[in-house]
Amino acid sequence: MLDVIQQSIPVLLKGTVVAIELMAVTLVFSLPLGMPFALGENSRIKPIKWFCNLYVFVFRGTPLLLQMYFVYFAFPILWNIQIPAFPAAALAFVLNYAAYFAEIYRGGINSIDRGQYEAASSLGLSKAQTMFGVILPQMMRVVLPPVGNEMIVLVKDTALVSVLSVADIMKKTREIQNREVSLAPYLVAAVIYLIITFVLTLWINHMEKNYSKYDEQES
Amino acid sequence: MAEILKMEKIVKEFSNISALNGVDFSVSEGETVAIIGPSGSGKSTLLRSINCLTRITSGKITLNGETFVDTGADGKAKYLPEKQLSKICSETGMVFQHFNLFPHMTTLGNITYAPIKVKGIPKDEAEKRGKELLKLVGLEAKADNYPGHLSGGQKQRAAIARGLAMDPMIMLFDEPTSALDPEITGEVLNVMQQLAAEKRTMIIVTHEMGFAKEVADRVVFMDAGRIVEQGAPKEIFENPKSERLQSFLQSMLRA
Repeated sequence: MLDVIQQSIPVLLKGTVVAIELMAVTLVFSLPLGMPFALGENSRIKPIKWFCNLYVFVFRGTPLLLQMYFVYFAFPILWNIQIPAFPAAALAFVLNYAAYFAEIYRGGINSIDRGQYEAASSLGLSKAQTMFGVILPQMMRVVLPPVGNEMIVLVKDTALVSVLSVADIMKKTREIQNREVSLAPYLVAAVIYLIITFVLTLWINHMEKNYSKYDEQES
Repeated sequence: MAEILKMEKIVKEFSNISALNGVDFSVSEGETVAIIGPSGSGKSTLLRSINCLTRITSGKITLNGETFVDTGADGKAKYLPEKQLSKICSETGMVFQHFNLFPHMTTLGNITYAPIKVKGIPKDEAEKRGKELLKLVGLEAKADNYPGHLSGGQKQRAAIARGLAMDPMIMLFDEPTSALDPEITGEVLNVMQQLAAEKRTMIIVTHEMGFAKEVADRVVFMDAGRIVEQGAPKEIFENPKSERLQSFLQSMLRA
């Protein structure tokens, strides 16, 4: 058992790099991409609103696994282009997570008190100034916990890419396990996932603490 | 004294009830007007229509010589285009019952944000002016605190400073002490009294009868979307003519 663990660690760490790359790409693109969809869902222009609602409906309403297969096979079948598995998976992840973040942002925006809009309006702030200077900074505070939660979900969702033979933690684990007929690789993989989520949780808590300086204090 | 605000035949209908039934109301420069009346009488609606937070159904409002809304041929209120409107309406400063300070900005940040963004005043200049205003409301020590760390009375004084920072022609107060504990309303009323003494034009919707009596130049009594009676505080409180005002004042005394 110990020797299997020993030989698993370096291999799985390579997979960890791939998983972290996928997380990074997903967050870098989906966190900002969620914003236009959130604003679009609140838009007064009907076609924009419908489009954004439909987008969120489709990407939240179907499995990420399905979306990943769809993107991966859409390129060769529709356009006769073969694309590598990693970018295909990453694209599906970005589109999927943007839909979740859009919903979280929308909820955050809607939770801001009407009085904030009224105060901004009474000071002569434009709609854009109100949104970017007053509403969105407050929304950040509100959405931090649910966004953090999605990030934790993302850590574990990365395991899905193993089905496209992307060499992530899960894929590597299966390889060793098939060869050695041992449960040890699963334990090592579990520890790696736990370490990632633990570090992420620490960071999220730190962010929340940072924002809590704005909170109402009992006096 | 010059008339700074003139409202004519103001009607506001919400989906099924009418909040204002043809109100005529005007304010002169330097005047402090207190609006009193039972809840639901339309006093807040009247105040909020002055800075466009409430859009009236019909009527005419002229602020400092500029008519920003008038009844059109179809009997409905016609407002100026959005850009002009927001400029005119921002020439009034508003103080809300629930403060509505921006919680993510420091007290000073709350005060300087609009002057910097809307008026384009340089940051250091806006901050200098902001600190003067904080001194005026007795909060110079709280410049770098976030609103969440202020008491209710301090929040409201900060909100008054924020309104003043835009150098408005009229300050509007919508029940500024209603959300405060009784023992700290005094600190807010003192600031307002000071502003009245400086001959700032102020319209105050309030339940503080003592304050209205002492500070206002004119008291307006509203009921059921109309102005029932108005006049000097002494007249209104000591010699109410209408039965409605008499019974209102009695109920306030009992409270």
